[in-house]
Amino acid sequence: MFKKILIANRGEIALRIIRACKELGVQSVAIYSEPDIHSLHVQLADEAICIGPAASSDSYLKIDRIISAAEIADVDAIHPGYGFLAENAHFADVCDSCNIKFIGPTAQAIRMMGDKNSARDCARASGVPISPGSDGIIADEAEALRVARKIGYPVMIKAVAGGGGRGMRIASNEGSLVQGYHAARMEAEKAFGNGAVYIEKFIVNPHHIEFQVFGDQHGRVVHLGERDCSLQRRNQKIVEECPSPLMTPELRKKMGDASIKLCESVGYQNAGTIEYLVDDAGNFYFMEMNTRIQVEHPITEEVYGCDLVKHQIQIAAGEHLSDHVINAQPRGHAIECRINAEDPEKNFQPCPGNIDLYYAPGGRGIRIDSHAYAGYPIPPNYDSMIAKVIATASNRTACINRMSRALGEYMITGIKTTIPFQQAIMQNSDFRRGAYHTGFVESLLLKGVPTVR
Amino acid sequence: MDIKEIRSLIDLMKKNGVAVFKMEKEGFKITLKTAVSSGSPQYISTQPLVQWNEPSSITDAAPTAAPADPVVVGIEVKSPMVGTFYDSPSPESPAFIAVGQEITPDTVVCIIEAMKVMNEVKAEVSGTVVEICAENGKPVQYGQALFRLK
Repeated sequence: MFKKILIANRGEIALRIIRACKELGVQSVAIYSEPDIHSLHVQLADEAICIGPAASSDSYLKIDRIISAAEIADVDAIHPGYGFLAENAHFADVCDSCNIKFIGPTAQAIRMMGDKNSARDCARASGVPISPGSDGIIADEAEALRVARKIGYPVMIKAVAGGGGRGMRIASNEGSLVQGYHAARMEAEKAFGNGAVYIEKFIVNPHHIEFQVFGDQHGRVVHLGERDCSLQRRNQKIVEECPSPLMTPELRKKMGDASIKLCESVGYQNAGTIEYLVDDAGNFYFMEMNTRIQVEHPITEEVYGCDLVKHQIQIAAGEHLSDHVINAQPRGHAIECRINAEDPEKNFQPCPGNIDLYYAPGGRGIRIDSHAYAGYPIPPNYDSMIAKVIATASNRTACINRMSRALGEYMITGIKTTIPFQQAIMQNSDFRRGAYHTGFVESLLLKGVPTVR
Repeated sequence: MDIKEIRSLIDLMKKNGVAVFKMEKEGFKITLKTAVSSGSPQYISTQPLVQWNEPSSITDAAPTAAPADPVVVGIEVKSPMVGTFYDSPSPESPAFIAVGQEITPDTVVCIIEAMKVMNEVKAEVSGTVVEICAENGKPVQYGQALFRLK
């Protein structure tokens, strides 16, 4: 086991990692930017080293300073958390060359699965379904029709140089395909100076379902079930749940087996998450892989009874995946709400500032992963997430009621938070029925921001 | 009374809005005056400012973090990186600078070793050295005061 670990991160995940270190009897070293001197992770670590000014590019992303800090503190390993350098293959390489263990997958695995194209190739090679698409640019109308016929309607025509939703058309039959093909090309030509388009399958009302995977350094790979992360606002997850309301044991077996196969094919080690898009008929398509621990890992921990961060450290130290993890079975239901310092009534504008009063909910089945405290000055330089509330119960309805109860107790004054909005989601009848997809939050917001205080 | 204790004292004075502190004991006398801003409350804490019986207890509870804003008399040369501080080009050579020396922005004031690379650090400011704050051969973090000038 390592003697000392440096945590190359901040906020709640740094705190999470320090907690795991303390429980494992490992010394923890925190790094921090100047404004983060007031942060909890700095106070709770065994040692703390300032590595730069506020800007992430000059602190949490400065590989040379982080490695220097690791050297003067004489650490054995670095845990990168999520975001920042967690999926930076070069950083993993630097750690290797300095004889410091990078707690995560190999640099090679990060490179292979980090690049969307190479990840899709790996998926295709191991027989994991990927969203069908044309092999390249569509040459003419005839080819467009041929490809669309092969993929199956509905399809999406997308500009190669596109962005911001422009140069995109959805077609559900041959007539609209021909029309859409020409319209997309013209729009793309005007907007980007490049009219090249390709075609891919359009998944109607997709669900974002991801699988937690874990590999050790001895070739063993397991999966720990799925998380449903379809509730997103502008592609940012706000509520996640485990298990997914639309999962069946058969689909879980299929998707789980595919996930393990993919990991084995690239020799994946440590924690990772494979993201899929799933349609209402249960067809799943590989989207991408995140080669790190994820924000929403607690809901898997609560349902599968595992401490994923501890396991990350143990696996990195060379231990085998334990029987406890290999035989883990899901039990009950868990939901996580990401509490952001944002004002839902002002288009979710971030509101950094000082937290005045802070009272976190408690009671059975409530877990709070947060670095917030009364009087904490939230710095404006980083993401706005200040807390994660995780509710666990024996079934989905009890879990939703528990989360609603907890959100009602949560007191944070001095800043605005997304709590009233998440409370409204908990009380929404479609959400309660489990009938939602990735477009749900945006359509909810179209009718005005629902908040429940 | 060493420099660490005096610095803690200044910190406490600032925190409690105390403008002047005088102390005399056993052949030792000290007067400290801080620039108290007009906005802060002018009150004197009823608690003793320092535990005279146990000077060693004047340590900050936080881990080896950069000290929070002591009153600075003059200019500080702060560390631009994380590494090990060396006050001379080599163990046999004399130190780069000494107290009382006049320096310019281009004066090399120390070496900070990071990742096996010896980095020469320039002053970036002018002034007369009044204090060498960092210890030779010891680690320094980003923003840590290395030298004080006037």
